[in-house]
Amino acid sequence: MSELREVYRAVSPAEFFYKYREIAGFANPVRAVYQTIRELVENALDATDVHGIPPDVKITVRKADETQDFYQITVEDNGIGIPPNIVPNAFGKVLFSSKYVLRQSRGMYGLGVKMVVLYAQLTTGRPVEIITSKSGYKRIYYFKLRIDVNKNEPVVIEAGSWRKTRDWHGTIVSVTIEGDWNRAKSRVLEYLYRTAVVLPYANIVMVTPENEIVYYPRIVNIMPKPPVETKPHPQGTDLEFMNSLVKNTDFKTIEELLVKSFQSIGDVTAKQILQTAGIDPNKKPSELSDNELLSLINAMKTYDKYKPPSSRALSPLGEEIIKAGLKRAFNPEYVDAVSRRPGAYSGHPFIVEVGIAYGGNTPIGEDKPVVLRYANKIPLLYDEATDVISEVVKEDINWENYMISFPAPLLILVHICSTKIPFKGVGKESIADIPEIRREIKLGIMEVTRGLKQFLSKKIKEEEAKRKAEAVAKYIPEVAKSLAVILADESNLNALRKEIISKLTTIVARKTGVSFDLLHGIVKSIEAEA
Amino acid sequence: MPSQADLAARNKALDLIKSSMKSLVEQINEGEKPVLVIPKRTLSNTIYDLRRKMLLLGPEVQHRSFTDVNEAKKFMQTLLMASIIFDALRNNEYPTIRDLYYRGKHSISYRTVDGKRINENTWEEQRESDSVIRDLEVFLSVLREDLLILSKEKGKVVGNLVIRSGDDTIDLSKMGHGAYAIEPTPDLIEFVDVDAEYILVVEKDAVFQQLHRYGFWRKYKAILVTSAGQPDRATRRFVRRLSDEYKLPVYILADSDPYGFYIYSVFKAGSITLSYESERLATPSAKFIGVMMTDIFGDSVFRKIVKDKDSRKILEEITPGVSELKPKSPYLDESERSNFIIKAKTKDLERAVELVGYKVAEVCIEDKEVKNKVKKKEGLTGYPWFSTPEWTREICIFFNTLSKLEIEAMASKGLKFLADKYIPEKLSVGDWID
Repeated sequence: MSELREVYRAVSPAEFFYKYREIAGFANPVRAVYQTIRELVENALDATDVHGIPPDVKITVRKADETQDFYQITVEDNGIGIPPNIVPNAFGKVLFSSKYVLRQSRGMYGLGVKMVVLYAQLTTGRPVEIITSKSGYKRIYYFKLRIDVNKNEPVVIEAGSWRKTRDWHGTIVSVTIEGDWNRAKSRVLEYLYRTAVVLPYANIVMVTPENEIVYYPRIVNIMPKPPVETKPHPQGTDLEFMNSLVKNTDFKTIEELLVKSFQSIGDVTAKQILQTAGIDPNKKPSELSDNELLSLINAMKTYDKYKPPSSRALSPLGEEIIKAGLKRAFNPEYVDAVSRRPGAYSGHPFIVEVGIAYGGNTPIGEDKPVVLRYANKIPLLYDEATDVISEVVKEDINWENYMISFPAPLLILVHICSTKIPFKGVGKESIADIPEIRREIKLGIMEVTRGLKQFLSKKIKEEEAKRKAEAVAKYIPEVAKSLAVILADESNLNALRKEIISKLTTIVARKTGVSFDLLHGIVKSIEAEA
Repeated sequence: MPSQADLAARNKALDLIKSSMKSLVEQINEGEKPVLVIPKRTLSNTIYDLRRKMLLLGPEVQHRSFTDVNEAKKFMQTLLMASIIFDALRNNEYPTIRDLYYRGKHSISYRTVDGKRINENTWEEQRESDSVIRDLEVFLSVLREDLLILSKEKGKVVGNLVIRSGDDTIDLSKMGHGAYAIEPTPDLIEFVDVDAEYILVVEKDAVFQQLHRYGFWRKYKAILVTSAGQPDRATRRFVRRLSDEYKLPVYILADSDPYGFYIYSVFKAGSITLSYESERLATPSAKFIGVMMTDIFGDSVFRKIVKDKDSRKILEEITPGVSELKPKSPYLDESERSNFIIKAKTKDLERAVELVGYKVAEVCIEDKEVKNKVKKKEGLTGYPWFSTPEWTREICIFFNTLSKLEIEAMASKGLKFLADKYIPEKLSVGDWID
């Protein structure tokens, strides 16, 4: 057997993604259009609502070449803008940001937009164009750039600026990619539609290559509470994170590092953890051996007297926003929403929110409710079957107990927000079955469905009362006529008949609790026919 | 131009309907739900009055409230029927129950709470309108004849009897070969003159005609009546009035089978389904003259049965004295019997069990297979008005012989035998069942 020589060489992150673009969602021309729009829209939203700005987002898709399937995709937002000195790296250098603070946002590391730039570069060779300005700036900045894949460096092709004539802030990003718009269109529209359901506080406009305008106007003036940056919780840590932390810190002792870098760790707790791990509290962080680091992590994870992780980093939608979104989308007979109290799994805080819509234009669920899934305000469109939300809806809830028999116009919306969404696999389209989260989803669905049950039983009672009243009211004219024939002369027959009709209608209305007007309508419908 | 009697009846009926409906409108005027209080026409509310010897409506009433979903339609139908009858009375009309069905049948077209237009008929079948006519009869406590509603005529009468019907005076002894058809409103008949000693009601029209042509009624001073099968209301009311007003005894001649026995009981006590009529229609003094089982078989069959100690004990428990009844010899000899009697069917047996109860059948039926056939009627105890030693003996013989006989058979033996021997002899010795 011959000896094989393998050549190892360092690969730049840019080069890595360039080769393995499927992982990032650019597997084919259809998916690429969808993914590009998603990445840009989610960046736009992160630049706005995360910072308390009601989003105005405009998406324009334009055919960019007469013969080839090139499309220019432009997304404009009214967000916080990007400082001009950051722009080249933000769009042109693939890097793992060493974030030591956490807060809920849509994209975690800003990787997505770089993949878009790379994909554009690969398929059309055209650079990305960025126009941006922050509030208070006097100028608007303009960049045209590409990525040097081998060096993992931005290459600025053009840059410029001009004076602002009004206080505009925000970012406009424009890329040209090769893609299959026609087949991606329905998917893109579905994505926008589902996004709009949970963002009734946003203006979202899209102009398609066919010059169609899709517009979801802002309908509420409330915003979700923006997330607050927080330190990580010790139970949520891992080796990778700790390694990076101890290498890059300026703190003198490991005890100080623990106290200053994590939530829920004070002096006493830090000492206990370090004692368990057998580490001198005064040791310099960078001098920890690999074994010491492992036993430190172990001690941090097994310590059980922490306060639960803070939920301040989270930005739930809130019940009013979910209800407003569902109302606009489905004009339902019954709508409700609940934000559950914060929970935590493995040191990560999370909040489950559940909305429910019934009747109206709510789509019909054949054997279970239609489910809209969201993670950190992003709609999840794919891999529904394997998602924990779908599993709860299918397996954990006995819908019959809530007076619901399928098919029924019933929709359940579940939003999970967390500093770390436990996605299944790299597709980020389905959420893993974490017992703590599953339980909250179940309780949330049960809570809103209980309200629906009350609504339905009240409705059934009202319908029953109406039916009963109708079953009597329809005979009022006949009864009145019969009595008038017997008791009146020819001359006052009609007068007596009308008098009895009116009195009987009042009596039936009082007995059945149904409105006089409704019964009067039935009586009149008979009179009209006679 | 209607007769005086007719007009008087109309005005009485109009006033009755008017005053009853007035109270309903008063309820409505006071904002109360209108309610009709109607005696219940159910089997459970049918009682046999032992003293008056007739089937009567019990004390139970139903409250038919207009605002009750389950009663609203019936309420409407009842009032609709009242108004149609009222209208017919006022216009000097004589509707039949079929007429009333058609006059009231129309569709109510209404829009539902969901906005659908629905057409619903006031009633679909005559069964429904007939039912509210009966309700109105009990509600107003009158008979339909008092409301000038006509039924089909079936009963006939001949005899030394002069009546006034309408404005005509009719001599029922001058009907030739025909007979006077008893009018549907017998209460409008005025009896002018009667010269008879009793009334003989014959179930079968054919036998009635034979006796009529034979001159039976003239020879034996009888009023001869036929009901031509199950008696209608007019025939029953006519017999009752005649019997009441002239103190004439009534004798019923019917087939010797459970059906014939039942027809007798309808004349005497009233019918189970229409017990509210009994008070006006039943003739509690009516007697069953024949044809009896003992007329066919004598009582030897029965004596054999009560020889058995156990059987006797059971039958005595049901009707004390049954084993000590007067002995009887048959009118038919062995060969006549074998020629005339018909084999009883299962239906006859079941009906017989209904009359006297299962225990009599159990004791008297010999054939095991036949006994099994009536097993499903186990638990029935019979009607109180058949609970007499005489009926127990009669029907016990029926169970034992499984035979029945039509009156025509007696006529076949010879019309002379029927008219000059069978009937007069039985009358003279008092061989009837009361």
